[in-house]
Amino acid sequence: MIEINQLTKTFTSQDGTPVHALGGVDLTVNDNEFLTLLGPSGCGKTTMLKMIAGLQGWDGGTITIDGKAVTGPGPDRSMVFQNFALLPWATVMDNVCFGLRLRGTERRAREERAQELIEMVGLSGFESKRPGELSGGMQQRVGIARALAVDPQILLMDEPFGAVDEQTRRLLQEELLSIWERNRLTVVFVTHSMEEAVLLGDRVVLMSARPGQISEIVEVPLARPRSSDVGGLERSREYTEITAHLWDQLRSMHSEHRAVEAVR
Amino acid sequence: MTAIAQSTTPRTSRSVPRFRLGGVGMSALSLTLGVLAWELVGRVFALPFFPPFTVVVGTLMEMIGRGDIVGNLAVSLSNLVAGFTISLVIGIVVGTAMGRYWRVRAALGVYVYALLTAPSLVFAPIFFSIFGAGQGSIIAVVVMYSTFVMIINTASAVQNVPAAMLEMGRSYGASEWQLVTRVIVPAALPTMLAGIRLGMGRAVLGMINGEMFIAVTGLGRLVTQAGKSFDGAAVLAVLIVIIVVALGAVGLVQMVDRALTGWVPDTSKEKS
Amino acid sequence: MTSLTHEPERSARPAMLNRLDSPLTYQILTFALFAIGWQIYGTFFGGLLVPTFTETVAALVPTLVSAEFWEAFVVSNQALVLGFAAAVAIGVPTGIVLGRFRTLERLSNVYLNILLVTPMAAIIPLLVMSVGFGLLSRVILVTLFAVVMIIVNVRAGIRQVDPSLIQMARTFGAGEAQIWREILLPGALPSIMTGIRLGLGRAVTGMVIVELLMVSLALGGLILEYRGSFNGPALYAVIVAIIAEALVLISAAQWLERRIAPWAPSAGKARS
Repeated sequence: MIEINQLTKTFTSQDGTPVHALGGVDLTVNDNEFLTLLGPSGCGKTTMLKMIAGLQGWDGGTITIDGKAVTGPGPDRSMVFQNFALLPWATVMDNVCFGLRLRGTERRAREERAQELIEMVGLSGFESKRPGELSGGMQQRVGIARALAVDPQILLMDEPFGAVDEQTRRLLQEELLSIWERNRLTVVFVTHSMEEAVLLGDRVVLMSARPGQISEIVEVPLARPRSSDVGGLERSREYTEITAHLWDQLRSMHSEHRAVEAVR
Repeated sequence: MTAIAQSTTPRTSRSVPRFRLGGVGMSALSLTLGVLAWELVGRVFALPFFPPFTVVVGTLMEMIGRGDIVGNLAVSLSNLVAGFTISLVIGIVVGTAMGRYWRVRAALGVYVYALLTAPSLVFAPIFFSIFGAGQGSIIAVVVMYSTFVMIINTASAVQNVPAAMLEMGRSYGASEWQLVTRVIVPAALPTMLAGIRLGMGRAVLGMINGEMFIAVTGLGRLVTQAGKSFDGAAVLAVLIVIIVVALGAVGLVQMVDRALTGWVPDTSKEKS
Repeated sequence: MTSLTHEPERSARPAMLNRLDSPLTYQILTFALFAIGWQIYGTFFGGLLVPTFTETVAALVPTLVSAEFWEAFVVSNQALVLGFAAAVAIGVPTGIVLGRFRTLERLSNVYLNILLVTPMAAIIPLLVMSVGFGLLSRVILVTLFAVVMIIVNVRAGIRQVDPSLIQMARTFGAGEAQIWREILLPGALPSIMTGIRLGLGRAVTGMVIVELLMVSLALGGLILEYRGSFNGPALYAVIVAIIAEALVLISAAQWLERRIAPWAPSAGKARS
């Protein structure tokens, strides 16, 4: 269980004015929950994810995982990056092995494990290719395999499908769902797409900007497993209602924002 | 509390407000330290080839007083301006043609690369044999040094103009000449200017090396002369003048660059 | 790019013409025009020191088999090998340190910028005064020519490593040493190789310049000797041989660069 308490963070922008990235956020992520963070750009959703990952410091508040305070990256968490963050010089196999290698897993064992995951994400036959030879969708499959290879309890995903085209994105969403339905990890998934947030999440956390705050948490009542009938879900009444509701909220945030800008 | 030690990446350190010297302040501090170290080493070791800074400045003043510097500087600058201007014209015309027409690129590409790679000063004896021991040879050396880097940068800039921009131009009925002058050259300008800056740097090298080889005029000859009479202070004095000329010339191109390409967003600009 | 090349019009012509309309044809055509122009100039306007193209080609063979040439070649390359090795040994670690420590980098920046544009040849008189005309001074000059280019590129390589890769490694618990070994060094490898290649180019330049301007010996000495005895064809043959050596060395470095860092996005961008 991830517990976030009164988390605040203020950056100083280059012209010296303070920017309130997070203004006192409280959030609990349950075990085996798929939680999606949704919000306009600048709402601090990625910043908060990086804090959970232990990559980024904060000013006030606490983050604990199963009661232990987060002080840095740990083996219980792994992260999937928006720009994939693959090593361009390493093969698919070596990229998937990367985390295991850093943790000192012996070569035979880590390659066996990597092979399993490469098969799971459907990249068999591409083991010795380099990232430059793969499409964006395939690169992110490598990123997901690398994150899962170290057997984390928590998977942190930072707009993982933001850099791929729409069709690939839908395929990856379905695959992520079916992987998750099997391993039931705790997932915190950052996105700016309402459809993606609703389709994947058990709950959608809607954040607003300046300062970054949680404006609403929406339960998604769609039945699981969802991977077998994504198209049907998207035509369901619940799905339509939730996305419409989220859009109303986001639109009012945007018009508020515009009003603030106008006053300035 | 900040639970996590600040990482080594510059990105996170930005969040910590901290006193920082600007680029100019840092350079000034660094140069002052350098000059102090120079003076100290010069005084303590008293090497004939490494006199202290103050002695070198004294010698420089003396040379200026005698009129050694101004005349030679003028000659050197005229070599530089003449050579660079010729290179600039060749660089832009040939480079644009190479970037725009594949036949020109096929005809010249390999040779331009070869001439860029080859040590330019080996051509000096050839120019010497054609133009004799005069300014013509030195200007030819300057051209040899600076032309090819400008051709190659211009060619790649022109070749990399987005196809969509050309299609846009054609859709408004632009002729080939209009396309080149109104769309291609302006779009290629930032990269071209990066090449022109490199070309200016190389032109200064060509000027000095040419003058040292064909030792009849200019700062290059002055250095050689001072060396022959084992006058370390004079060598360093002329070297200071040369460095000022080099920095000034490159700085001038940078100023022009900034004035002409203000529309380019900072992030996409090549850092010098 | 295809929109720039006007390929479509080719299909409208007979197959024979199409096959002739290839890059190689234009490449050969350029060389032929150059050779003919040279031949005409050499025959009618040449004078004592400008041989014709055919005379130069004819002189190439005896030059390349003469003991005199190979002795000079060995002497020249001694300085090149030693000086370049020293430049790599100094430049790569220095570049890495400067890329890692911001303050050092900011302090040294102004000097690197000055050294990049300063004509190194102008310090030749100081070298002669301090260490004489021997092998050591030639080696030092070659090192000075090459080392700045290497430092600047290695430094840029370390600093350009994608920060998200470092974050990624840290999520897997990588410590500072692991980040260096697994991310920073492999990430900077393409730039290190580029620096070594560009440094090699400058080292060859340094080798030629030192022999032409400072100590008339080895290959540079041969050039000056043939010039003195008005042996035009041999003079040109030696120049051609030096250019050929430079091109072979640079091509080899480029090949090595592609072998060692095949993932890098286009090795061989001109930046010198």
